[in-house]
Amino acid sequence: MGMFKSAEEFETVIVGFFNLIGETPVIADKLLKSKMIIRFIYTDPDLVVVVDCSGDKAETRAHDTETKAIVEMSMSADVAHRFWFGMVNLTKALTRKEMVAKGPIPKVLKLLPAIKPSYAMYPQYLEANGYGQYNITKSYTPPAG
Amino acid sequence: MSEYAGGGYAKGGYAGQILYVDLTSGQIEKKPLDMDFARKHIGGMGFGTRIYLDLIKNNPQFDPLSAENPFIVMTGPLTGLKMNGVARWTVCAKSPLTGYWGDSNVGGFFGAYLKFAGYDGIVITGKAAAPSYLFINNDTVEIRSAAPYWGMDVYTVTDRLKADLKPETQKAGQVLAIGPAGENGIRFASLINNKGHAAGRTGLGAVWGSKNLKAIFVSGTGKINVACPEKLDALRAELKEVYEESIGISAIHAAGTATHMDVGIISGDIPIKNWQQTEWDDIDDIGPAEIEEKIFAGHKTCYGCSVACKKNAEVKDGPFKMEKGPGPEYETIATFGTMCLNSSIESIAKANEICNRCGMDTITCGSTIAFAIECFENGLISEKDTEGIALTWGNAEAIVQMVEKIAKQEGFGAILGLGSQKAAEKIGGNAADFLTTVKGLEAPMHDPRSAHGYGLAYAISPRGACHEASLTFEAEGGMIYIPEIPELSADLPEGSDERAQLNVVAQDYGMFFSNCAIFCNLGGMPLNATQAINMVNFVTGFDYSLDEILSIGRRIWYLKRGMTNLFGARAQDDRLPKRLMTVLDEGPTQGSQPDMDKMLSEFYALRDFDVRGLPTRQVLESVGLPELAALLHG
Repeated sequence: MGMFKSAEEFETVIVGFFNLIGETPVIADKLLKSKMIIRFIYTDPDLVVVVDCSGDKAETRAHDTETKAIVEMSMSADVAHRFWFGMVNLTKALTRKEMVAKGPIPKVLKLLPAIKPSYAMYPQYLEANGYGQYNITKSYTPPAG
Repeated sequence: MSEYAGGGYAKGGYAGQILYVDLTSGQIEKKPLDMDFARKHIGGMGFGTRIYLDLIKNNPQFDPLSAENPFIVMTGPLTGLKMNGVARWTVCAKSPLTGYWGDSNVGGFFGAYLKFAGYDGIVITGKAAAPSYLFINNDTVEIRSAAPYWGMDVYTVTDRLKADLKPETQKAGQVLAIGPAGENGIRFASLINNKGHAAGRTGLGAVWGSKNLKAIFVSGTGKINVACPEKLDALRAELKEVYEESIGISAIHAAGTATHMDVGIISGDIPIKNWQQTEWDDIDDIGPAEIEEKIFAGHKTCYGCSVACKKNAEVKDGPFKMEKGPGPEYETIATFGTMCLNSSIESIAKANEICNRCGMDTITCGSTIAFAIECFENGLISEKDTEGIALTWGNAEAIVQMVEKIAKQEGFGAILGLGSQKAAEKIGGNAADFLTTVKGLEAPMHDPRSAHGYGLAYAISPRGACHEASLTFEAEGGMIYIPEIPELSADLPEGSDERAQLNVVAQDYGMFFSNCAIFCNLGGMPLNATQAINMVNFVTGFDYSLDEILSIGRRIWYLKRGMTNLFGARAQDDRLPKRLMTVLDEGPTQGSQPDMDKMLSEFYALRDFDVRGLPTRQVLESVGLPELAALLHG
């Protein structure tokens, strides 16, 4: 049994966060430059999400199984959740197949520096949107004001 | 070698003889490889370390730059096969940089060609009366005058020797050479094959310089036999799929080791500003994307390996213009880049080229310059000392100028050419606070505050701070997964718990894997233990089990540790420098500090060390090293 109670709840959390990233210029500008289309295939609970950076703005689409993705990343919802806290050793996760990737992975690795600011955003996003129960960071400090 | 006499022939893998060259007398001898010895030591560092001990055991106290320091090149049973990740070979001697055990593990082509010529390794003793090089063409082995080549840089001597000797050989040859750095006794001088494959760490190029040995040229027409070719073919087929599925292999094929710039920054693994930070806004300027755009000039590889993790570089114009040649790898990008807050990838490529041409280790060179910058910024040295060079953070021109000064041994460059630890003694004040050395060797570019097991690995590595002295870095960092060995497949808790046991097993297996067999830690990363052992068995015809290779690995590890103890290292030398133990206030490693007392105490108990840091007589005898026990304990 994973951390999220239902696919619906996980979808709300993760799609909301991807939308936030897409609206954050310091990250979104670099993602759009890459023209990357990634399909995330999550398990426990099951969910498919496409993040499409091929256009003028980053789009996130749940349940999109039609769009031709450049890269597909499969992982459990819990691994994905921990990843956005910056708590997953990516090398280890890929080696041990906790994350399975298909496609030109070096292109994804090159995006890692771009998404680094999102690790700090994730706990703040959870707290600000009523998902505080999923905030697993011990040192979280609510933003001033 | 008499105690191993008995002859015997290899079923496969081995060339079957070892070359002994005494530069003082000029005597050259070819001795058959004893198969009992081969079985007990596998190859590479297993052969080299054991032979070295036998050569020096009657007089272990000597200057590393004297004729008394033997130098050994050894291949492994897999070297020269056309398979991924097995092109490697090893060198060893007493280190001129640290005064302790020195060794280095190299890729490229030299090892393969040495086996094609019919030799598993070369044992070099004594000192030539005048500059010399060793010519090997199958059975013909000669010590020749290097007078026309002395003073040449590595690239030039490599090209010249290949061209000059081509008429004498049936097949093209390979050159292993030193540059001016080795000739001039720079303490971190390297040996370089094919311009970019360096035996970099611990300064063994200076040992060649002290022996008046400029180069070894080797050409051979032989081939390597395989004991069980059908089984090996089946394994090749199995591994084809394994390699195609490996994300790590895919990443280093595309971007080389520089891919770690993107991955390591997330966990705080990359040292920045001489280990004072783990975050830096300009890091993308020297990452894989910028490398591809600004300096990438094609892929390179080692013999028989399709992983091709090495990259060429070229800077077409500007102050750091350089012709197409071997490009900087991750460690070099970090030492001359993040460590110095230098965001010019072109200048890093240029510094790398100077180091390659002159024959210098880029890790020690870049780390020593970062150390010097901190001395400069803190007023311990000034432009008066550096002859007008403003050695400030991020000053790309100054960094490259200082590399050139070190290579030429000019002014302050001569002080930095001693390495950072000895330079700190010359500079004085609180310069030692800025050091990143263990046993005199500058730490590689992986921060123990991001993975505590690295800290223990650096502290107890026989050659000084090193991330490749065992497989701890690969296991804790997640590059390898060895399901047959619980410690190398466990999910470790955060912090310093269970790291002592991890280090012990990573040493034992690592001695087999990347020291003796000899697999490449990069090109061999997808292999599990069964596949690695099977490969050795199918090639040699031996029938090693996991227990046996771990037992051999353990013995070789104690041998290397004992050698460093023999050269004077004690428990107080098994410590991390203050700089690596300083807790950072921000970044991914915020608040993290390896618990060295706990890890060392557990490690000493597991390895049966006494309070002086020596393996006890009992443990040395139990692993089959009674001579070493007698040397250390009387």
